[in-house]
Order: sequence, then C-alpha cells, then structure tokens
Amino acid sequence: MLRRHLMLIGAGALAAPAVHAQSFPGAPMTLIVPWPAGGGSDIAMRLIAEAASKQFGVPVVVDNRPGAAGSIGHRALVNARPDGLTFGMFSTAGVAAPYLNANANTIDELEPLAFFGSDPSAIQASKASGITSLADFVARARANPGKIKNGNDQPGGASFLAVASYEKMMNFRIQKVPYAGYAPTVQALLAGEVDSATVAIPDTIEYHREGKLKILGVSSPTRHFMAPEIPTFKEQGFDVDVGSWRCVAGPKGIPADRLKKLQDGLLAAMRTEEFATRARTAGFTIQPGDAAVTLARWRADDTLLYGILDEAGLVKARKR
Amino acid sequence: MHDLISNLAMGFGVALSLQNIGLCFIGCVLGTAIGVLPGIGPLPTVAMLLPFTFTLDPTGALIMLAGVFYGAQYGGSTTAILARLPGETSSVVTCLDGYAMALKGQAGTALAIAAIGSVFAGIATTLLIAAAGPPLADVALLFQSADYVAVMLLGLVSAVVMAHGSVLKALLMILFGLLLGTVGTDVASGDYRLTLGLDMLADGLGFVPISMGLFGLAEIMVNLETMAGRTTIAKKVGSLWPSRAVLRQAFPAMLRGTAMGAAFGILPGGGPTIAAFSAYSLEKKVARDPSRLGHGAVEGVAAPEAANNAATQSCFIPMLCLGIPPNALMALMVGAMMVHGIQPGPSIITKQPELFWGMIASMAVGNVILVILNLPLIGIWVKLLQVPYAYLFPAIIVFCAVGTYTVDSSTGDVVLMAIFGVLGYVFRKLDCEPAPLMLGLVLGPLLEENFRRAMVLSDGNAMVFLQRPISLGFLIAAALLLAAVLLPSIRRGRQEAFRE
Repeated sequence: MLRRHLMLIGAGALAAPAVHAQSFPGAPMTLIVPWPAGGGSDIAMRLIAEAASKQFGVPVVVDNRPGAAGSIGHRALVNARPDGLTFGMFSTAGVAAPYLNANANTIDELEPLAFFGSDPSAIQASKASGITSLADFVARARANPGKIKNGNDQPGGASFLAVASYEKMMNFRIQKVPYAGYAPTVQALLAGEVDSATVAIPDTIEYHREGKLKILGVSSPTRHFMAPEIPTFKEQGFDVDVGSWRCVAGPKGIPADRLKKLQDGLLAAMRTEEFATRARTAGFTIQPGDAAVTLARWRADDTLLYGILDEAGLVKARKR
Repeated sequence: MHDLISNLAMGFGVALSLQNIGLCFIGCVLGTAIGVLPGIGPLPTVAMLLPFTFTLDPTGALIMLAGVFYGAQYGGSTTAILARLPGETSSVVTCLDGYAMALKGQAGTALAIAAIGSVFAGIATTLLIAAAGPPLADVALLFQSADYVAVMLLGLVSAVVMAHGSVLKALLMILFGLLLGTVGTDVASGDYRLTLGLDMLADGLGFVPISMGLFGLAEIMVNLETMAGRTTIAKKVGSLWPSRAVLRQAFPAMLRGTAMGAAFGILPGGGPTIAAFSAYSLEKKVARDPSRLGHGAVEGVAAPEAANNAATQSCFIPMLCLGIPPNALMALMVGAMMVHGIQPGPSIITKQPELFWGMIASMAVGNVILVILNLPLIGIWVKLLQVPYAYLFPAIIVFCAVGTYTVDSSTGDVVLMAIFGVLGYVFRKLDCEPAPLMLGLVLGPLLEENFRRAMVLSDGNAMVFLQRPISLGFLIAAALLLAAVLLPSIRRGRQEAFRE
C-alpha cells in the first residue's frame, strides 16, 4: 500500500494540467508492467505513463506485477475491470508464453491499444572467438552445428526467441546457453565464456567501440540510430528482420467510446516530440502505431513463434 | 598517486556542490527509512524514484539513488538487532548476535557497532574503488560459471561452520534450503517445477516472505510463549555508547569483515550475502572462544555489518568500471544512466569522469551523513524495546505483512510468510537454526544455474571444476574449511562414545 501511495503522489506531481477537459478518463489510470521495476520494459512504460498522464490530464500509476515471464502481469491485465482506466504492457515474449506455460493468457484474451516500437536484435561475437563477420559466423555455425556457444535468455525470453529465429531463418544450429538477463550475458561475452550473444544494440555498442567485442550486424531493415556504423543483416546478404517489440494492451470488453479515446490518446501521447526525444535518449527504437498495427504484429508473430518453438520442441501447452 | 588525488579532488568538487549534497542527503534519509521498515527494500524505492531523476542531471540522480542503496544497509541492521527481522539477505547473520545482544540489554551497543562498522567499511571500500577500481573490475571477468559454482560451495560450507548447534542439523537445514530453492522455473528448459500449478511460485520462493516468517514471526511466537509475566522483551536497556574495551574487541572484526566484503562484492549474484556469512564464519574460526558467537558477541555484529556494507560499495566497481551490474539494484542504476543517454561500458571513466569520480566521492560523503544521522537515532530505536510487547508485536506483524506485500504486490506472499512463521516456530522447538536454510535458499538457484551452465559449456565434462585454477582454489578452501569443522566434532563424538 505504501508503495502505491507514494507512486500515486509521484505520478500526480508529474501530471500536467489537462490538455482537453473530457469526461473520460476523469480518474487516475493504472499501467500494469509485467516486469520488475527498473528494467528496459519498466523504463519504456514509465515514459509512456508520463506522456499519457500529460495527454489524459490524470495521474497514470505504474503497477509492477512481475513474475512467471510476464504471465502474472498479463493475468492481472486480462482480469482488470474493462473501464478503460487499466491498461498494460504486452510484448513479443507474451505471444510465446501460452505455448510454454498452460496458465499464460493468449492474444485472444487481450485488446490491442497502441504499438510502442520494436528493438531490433543483433548478433555479437566475443573477442576470443575470432569471428570476423556475419558471413564468417554463419559459415562456422553451419560447418560445426552446435559448436558455437551463444549466450541468451532462458527459453521464451526475447534474446532466446531472437537466436531461435535466426537459426530457423538462416539455417544454422548453435548451442544456446541460458543467462538471467542481458547484463550477465554481456559479462559472459566479455569474459569469453560464450562465443556469441543475441542481445540489443544499446547494451553492447560501447563495448564494440572499445574493441571488447564485435557486433556482427543488426537484424532490422535500417541501421540502428545509436550505432550507424553497424551494417544490417540485409546489407550482408541475409534478408532477416528480427526484433522484440513492446505495445500497450487492455482487457477485453472496454466500451467502444472509451476504447477509442484510450487508443487515440495513447497514440497521440507517443507521437509527441518530447516523448520521442526521451525514448531515443534512453535507447528505444519507437514506431508508434495504432491498434490495427498492433493486432497485425501479434498475429504475425503468433504464427512465426509457434513454428520456431515447435521445431525447438518447446511447445508444452496448446498444441495446434 | 598524483592522479588519484586530483581525480578525487574533482570528485569532491562535484559531490560537495549544494545540489549534490542535498540529493545525497535525501537518498540517505530515504534509504535509512526503508531499511528500518522490514520488507520494503531499496529495490522498489529506487525504481519508484527513477522517474523523478528524469529531470535531474545524471550525476545528481545517481548520487541520490546510490544513497538510497547504502542507506538501506544501515537501516537494515536496526530491525535485525531489535526484532530479529532481517530486512535484507545480507543482514540475516546480524540477527544472530545482534538480537542476542539486545536481549542482554546491549541493543544500543549493537546498533552503534553496526553503524561504526558500516561507516568504516564504507569509507575504506570507497578509497579502494578510487585507487584500484578499474583493475579490480577486470577480476570479475576472470570468473566463469564453473568458478561461481566453487564460490557458492564455499559459501554453503561457511554456513555449516557458523552454526552453533549440531553440525548434522546445520547440514540438513542447508539441504532443506537448497530443496526450497529448486521451486520455480527450470533455468535450462523453462519448465515449471514444484509450483503446484500456482503462477506465484513460478519464480521460486521469495526471500522476503520466508525470512520474515522464519525469523520475525517465529520469534514473536516464541516470545509470547516464554514471556510469562514480563511486559517487555529486554530486561534493561543499558548504555547507548560502546565502551572502549568493546570497540577494541570489535575493531579487528571490522577490518576482517571489510576485506571479505570488498572481495566478494565484486562478484555477481550473492556477493553481499556470501560476504556476510563468510565474515561471520571467519570470526568463529579466529575467535579464542568460538562458543561466544551466537550468544551476543560484538564481533558477530561488527564483522558481518562491515562485510555487507563493504560489499554494497564494492559492487559499484563492475558497474562503474565495466558497465556490468552485479545485482538487480546495480541494473537499475545502469537503467538510470541509460535514461540519460549514457551507455554502460568501460568508457564511462574516460567519457564521464565527473560522473565517475563524483559518485565515488559522494559515497564517502554519504557514509559520513549516515553516521551523523544514525548515531543520534539509536537512542530512539532502543526506546522501542521498552514499549510493552502487547503493543509492539501486533505492530511488527503489520509491518511484516505490509513489507512482504509490497515486494511483488502479491497477497500469496503474505500467506507464504504465515506458513513459514509456523515452520520457523517448529524449527526453534527442534533446535534447528534458520540461517543456514536461508543461505541454501539464496545460493541454491545460483548454484544450480551456474552448475548447469558450466556443464553445458564444458560439453558435459565435470573435470572443468578441477581444471580451472580459480574454481580449484575455492574448492580446496571449501574442503579444508569443512574438514576443520568436521574433524573436531568427529573426534569429540568418538571420545564421548569411548566414555560410554
């Protein structure tokens, strides 16, 4: 309770006067973050909460409900009262979760609201591995399947899904070694414990510039704004687009008029100059999109990730 | 040397600006407050403060957040000593002798020694970071999964050493802790284990509900049973300030604790926890009369408190010098830097010298603020022991419940705390100590994760633990320590058998 109160005061202090006086929302809103406070997702959502608070003219309280790879927060979101005052974060890992965990909610149980952006994935090689380029990496991985050791999340996590996608799309096989998050993965890469990793650009660019590891490429259509010197996969002959995205979703059953105001308001908040600057400074690639864009991404990834997980023998619930 | 002085001078220039002293003070006050409240740890507090730092300059923001972190370590020992409630994993050990001292009417002395030990360790470690941070940071990169396994084993063995009852019971409690640590998600396959179909168990059993139950609630039950007629738990309050003799006794322990803490803090994972447990075991090994420890020996407070504070400072080394956060809180600090557009990496020292040296200097400033803040408070804290227990214990239960709930906003954790409270009472009746169990619970998942990773990386070759020199060294140390504990007790057992 204490924490909630403090957060409420916090959000209230940040909230600017209402831009448009409207009947909705007219009450404090809650943004459920299914990850612990302080991580990348939490920071992204706190930026949204701040922008949404200005947009709607009410405090937006961030409620961290971490646990079970996001499933606990997603359940809280699905079960929230559909009055438009509660919404929350949903991401790539959430699409994969129901195939790994029978208790996890599916995309059919959520209402898409707005798209935040997709952080492109990348492949990094350790200094000790001697890997020189993406082509070299792929050639080595194909020549000796399972010999290259790659640091990544536990099964179902963002960097795990990224490496599993690369394996399927680029036709190679490496040994996936699970680490609890990006920081220990980067440490293992610097120490030469693993040969490669599949973590995000902002977490590794400084080490690349210092020559402590090598970023082989970024798997997005365009180069990353923070690392313009890193070529894309496509430039190196591999037409692969893999990233992990974040969006905002709500429970099913929000009345249509409220739903529209909520979707429009969130999109408008994310399209402000101030929000874009803050998000870029923090290293996020943002591509604000509406509910239709969000839903299309869910459906596309649902099919893609099911195939990847099925092939890896990881589909433990909801066989298709 | 000249560089060091000029760098530190620049750092103090930054840290002693009016704004930064103010932020440091706010951080320290908040940290002390949340440290005293059981359960509410520095992690949610720093996360909550994060949005406020968006508008500050990054150096000021980090100075404040760091203040919350080490401030909480000062506050954390308060409840451990007064109510046998460990607020943090690293203050579990302080409960043993700290609370025993409080029962003997030496609560003031225990609190003062904890504060002095903390400030000594804090300042000594800050100087260490300034003088040797970057080379020390590279040490963290020498450690691989197999080496962490050996470090964890050493930590577990030290829990056997510190137990003052039967060695067999301590071993069983460690095993029980390790068993509890297997609840949750399998690190390699992502399968759920022993979760009873409950999502709340998917990430394992939380440290806070279990320690609150085993230590805090169990203590309340025992007190209510044994108090018969008395109204307060401590008979007398005694002097607030430690005598010169006590300080002389505590000082070598502080030195040893600081060394332990500074060394273990650099390693990811259970750094401060292993440091505190190891420091306590060391005290027990070097003490002339080891049986005093566990019954209110001042070294038993000084060493672990110095160790956990030294470790909380030295865990800044890999974060600041390499950009690698060794624990969740340091990860938050990296998050705070990224919000301000500073990418984690080894270039922070060269690209942001004012931030780097300013933060280091602010830790020295913060430690001084904390000791000035905390010493006068001791008088107030000690008075709490004179509050009739009939009013005190319901308040403690409420604080425990609130603190436990706030960790994950989970009512399930409050139920878990109640269950472990009952279990803790049963353990007390059976003369089984909960501290080794807590260490097993904390280190078990780390041990498993690193062990399985080491096996994957070595393609299933178990010899890797003997081939790597670091791992081999720690394994030998663990074996020697275990032999040192077991041999006398076996010999004693034989003697007793012969006597019969």
